[in-house]
Formats: sequence, structure tokens, C-alpha cells
Amino acid sequence: MAGVAERKGGGVAVSDRPSREAVRADLEEVFRAAYPRVVAVAARVLGSRDEAEDVAQEVFLAFARSSVPAGEAGGWLSVAAAHTALNQLRSGRRRASREEAADDGGTVCPDVADTVVTLDERRRVRAALARLPRRQAVALVLRHSGLSYAEVAAALDLSPGSVGTTVRRAESALREELNRHAPSE
Amino acid sequence: MRHPSDGTLRRLLDEPSGVAGTDRDHVADCASCLSGLAVVQEDAEAAASALDIRFAADVELIVDVDAGWHRLASAIAGGETGPETAADPPGRWRTKLRNPVVAIVGVVALLGGAGVAAAADWFQIFRAEKVAPVTAPRADLVRLPELDAFGDLAVTSKIEVRQVADAAAAGKATGLSVPRVSRLPRGVTGEPAYRVGGKASALFTFSMAKTAQTVAAAGGKAPPPPPGLDGSRFRLGAGPGVVAAWSQGRPVPALIVVRAVAPTVYSSGVPFETARDYLLSLPTVPENVKAQLRAFTGTGTTLPLFVSVEKMKASTADVRGVPATVLAARDGAMAGVIWADDGVVTAVAGSLSAREVLSVARGLR
Repeated sequence: MAGVAERKGGGVAVSDRPSREAVRADLEEVFRAAYPRVVAVAARVLGSRDEAEDVAQEVFLAFARSSVPAGEAGGWLSVAAAHTALNQLRSGRRRASREEAADDGGTVCPDVADTVVTLDERRRVRAALARLPRRQAVALVLRHSGLSYAEVAAALDLSPGSVGTTVRRAESALREELNRHAPSE
Repeated sequence: MRHPSDGTLRRLLDEPSGVAGTDRDHVADCASCLSGLAVVQEDAEAAASALDIRFAADVELIVDVDAGWHRLASAIAGGETGPETAADPPGRWRTKLRNPVVAIVGVVALLGGAGVAAAADWFQIFRAEKVAPVTAPRADLVRLPELDAFGDLAVTSKIEVRQVADAAAAGKATGLSVPRVSRLPRGVTGEPAYRVGGKASALFTFSMAKTAQTVAAAGGKAPPPPPGLDGSRFRLGAGPGVVAAWSQGRPVPALIVVRAVAPTVYSSGVPFETARDYLLSLPTVPENVKAQLRAFTGTGTTLPLFVSVEKMKASTADVRGVPATVLAARDGAMAGVIWADDGVVTAVAGSLSAREVLSVARGLR
């Protein structure tokens, strides 16, 4: 396997390393194809594009030296993004400062009141997601990120039939969680 | 007729074509299911709204792929490797063991002992020479414990899968004669992508404590083990192997052809019949599965494939003189055929009919 990242679109070349350490040759190709979706998966969990891009970076760094077969890269990256984002929710790292900044770069809020409402909603959704069983949370996020039942099944090692059940349970649990912690007004 | 499950109703919203026609027809005419479907739909919409991200619709336009790539490339050039645990799917071997073929190797390791000399050295107790289905309801298959419920599994050589340029490179990497498809089924086109994996091996140590725990968790009580079983070691090996996949840009390949050195198991310690008989006496293995395993564990050469009777139909066929097992999904979505010949296992599968996979299998060069 090549130990050098493809030079494409002015990409940075990576020096030769022992094969165990080698950066996969198809990294840029996979990155360009999968990055938007990986960011979107993480953004659904975190509600913030900046944080989602950080998660996507972490996930691709791990992927860069992995031997995940190219055909399974999309599913692997999506699952990894969901797990990493959910881990981040639970650890709550960087959360406070991010929320203070209230700017995720991808959202243009017309006024301050909207911003506050949006942030509160996101906080509730994140808290609810963090309380769901992990497998349900991942299946839910992947499904709502546009992965087909077959893709979610393959990524989570489930049968396509049980994806429906898992997603259904997750949606029901999410709604219950959101209702339980609904604002009083 | 039984009402379809909530999971089926959920799928009906997203992928009606993935739901059996009988279920679709039932729901259309069943007031109770229609009302259930309405609830499922409400929850699905609430979730979609909760998980909505404002830039989702045109995320490809707004996410800056170039900037992301430059950031990643600089990080890699700077020697960052990323947190290993964050993105590493847990337990590759665990996943592999869930895969019916490999899981069965594990069970066979314990159940399918050949006549064995009681030597202290490693001796071969299993080598797959043929493949046969073990059919059971899915609920029973789910009850089958994995190997690590009986002891400690240590991977001594991980499966490392990598892509290679072509069949010749795959042959060179694996030492196998790479199967070539002489005529592709209708709808499958182009050249396959070849992936190869090296030899995988693992060491399993039987633990009475773990076994007792597993049996107790299932509400039973493990009988006392025969002398010498506790702490016995078994060495599992499989591979190398090669996979040719015709994906045509789809997430699920249209056709795959797999060939690998068949699984083998070596043992040191107690005679294998002792271990097999003990494990078959445990209440964790469903009775119908036990009966089928007993029927062909005599020679230690049959690789059982666990098949859910609800999902798959198993039958036998002949591939150029070798008996093969044909599996076909009951919903017609996919089919596969697998056989073992001279210590090498070959399988052909895809989103095809049983007739088509058999035709590919028989035409392999």
C-alpha cells in the first residue's frame, strides 16, 4: 500500500512511513466524498457545525491509518461520527464556551430571541440524546442523516428488520424525554 | 393474521419497498395498524424536527470540504493520529464472531471434535471440509452464547483487510487461486474491487467460572465440568482470504465472491468429545440446535452455518461435484451459495436470485 497521500487539489503530501503507520492512499477521495455527511451526522447530535467539524476531523484522523475497506468507509465513518459526537455530549467538553459564543457559523439567526430559543431547544435535544441507549441513539441519528435501512443495518451489525424496531424505540424514547423536560410555558 | 411489529410500521414510512407485500396489504386494511402507524409517524416527525439542522438541506454547499481537507492534511503531516478509541468500532473480533460463519467456527471448536489423541501438544481437531446449515428460529439463534461467554478469547493475529489492484495481486497476496467469474448476472457490470486479508488466529481458554456465570444468567445451573476442561486451550485459525465485490457505487454490493482458507481449530488438553458433550449438556444451547449439531459433529469437518428460518431458506445444491449450501432470503432480496473444497471455502452472494448465484458459482474459473 502506498505510504503517501494522493496529491490532488493541492493536497498536502505525507512522507513515507512504515506500512503500519501509513496513511491510506484513498484518504482524500474518501474524505471529499464523505466529509459533508460525516459533518452532518455529528451536527445532528451536537447542534453545532463548528463542533461537528471538529468531530469529523477526529474521525478522519483515526480513519486515515485504519484498514477499513473502502467499500465500508461510509458506514464506518458515519458510525464513528455518531459515537464520537455522543461521547462528546456526555463528556460535555467545550460545551460551555461554545454555547457562550452562540455562533456555529452555519446558522443565521434573525434576532437574539430566536437565538436563545434555538439554543435552549438544542440543549434539550442533546440532553435527551445523551440519555438514550447508545445503539438507539446511533441508529436514530444515522437514519435521520439519510442512511438507508440497509446502510444502518450494515454499519451497526443489525438485520434490516431490526433497524425499524431500534429507530422506532429511539423515536418514542426521544419524544418522551423531550416531553418530560419540556419548558413549562 | 398477526399484526406487523412497530419496527415494520416504522420502515413502512421510510422504505415501503423493504416491507413484505403481505404486511403492507395487512396495514392498509387494518384499523388498529393504521392507528399505530399514525403514532409511529408522529414520533418520527417529532424526531426529525428535533434533529433538524438548518444547513442540512444544502450541507454540501455550506460545509467547506477544501478547508476541511487542508486541516486534516496538515494534522496528518504534523503527526497527529487521532484518538484511537473515539472512532474504533468496539471489538473487531467480537463483530467477526457475530458473523455466522466465524461464530460457527467458534462453536464448532467446542462442539465438533474429531477423534483426538490425548496428547499435550497442539493437534488439529477441526478443519472445514464441508458446509451445512443449522436452521433455527431467530429467537433461538439469539440465545446462542458467543465464545467469550465460555472463556477468554485472545486474538493472536488480527484480520487486516486491504484493497489490492487486481486478481493477480490478490492471488500473490493470499497464495489462493482467485476465483474469476466467467459470466456476470444480468444487471451486474464492471470490474470488481479486490480486497485481501491475511491469516487470523485467536486463542481460546475455556473457563468454568465464565461458563457457570453465562448459564446462571440464562436462569440455569451448569453441571460440574469433567476433569481437565477448565483452563483447556483451543487455537482458532482462518484465512488468508480474498473478496471480489461488484459494488457499482452502491452501499451494498450487487455481487461478491469470497474465497478463504477454511477455518481450523487446534486443541491442547482434554479430549474433544469431553468438551463437546459437556457444552451440549448446558441449557444455554436450544434443543433443536443441539440436535442438529450432534448430527454432524462426528468428523470435525463440517462447518455449520446458523440460519434463521424466518429470514432465510436453506437448501443444498451441487457446484461442480462438490455439495454446496444455498441460502435465499425469504423476501427475495439476496441469495448466496457456499461450499468447502480441499480446505478452502468459497462463497458467492449478492442481491440476486438463488438461480443466479448458483450459475455464477458453477461458472467460476
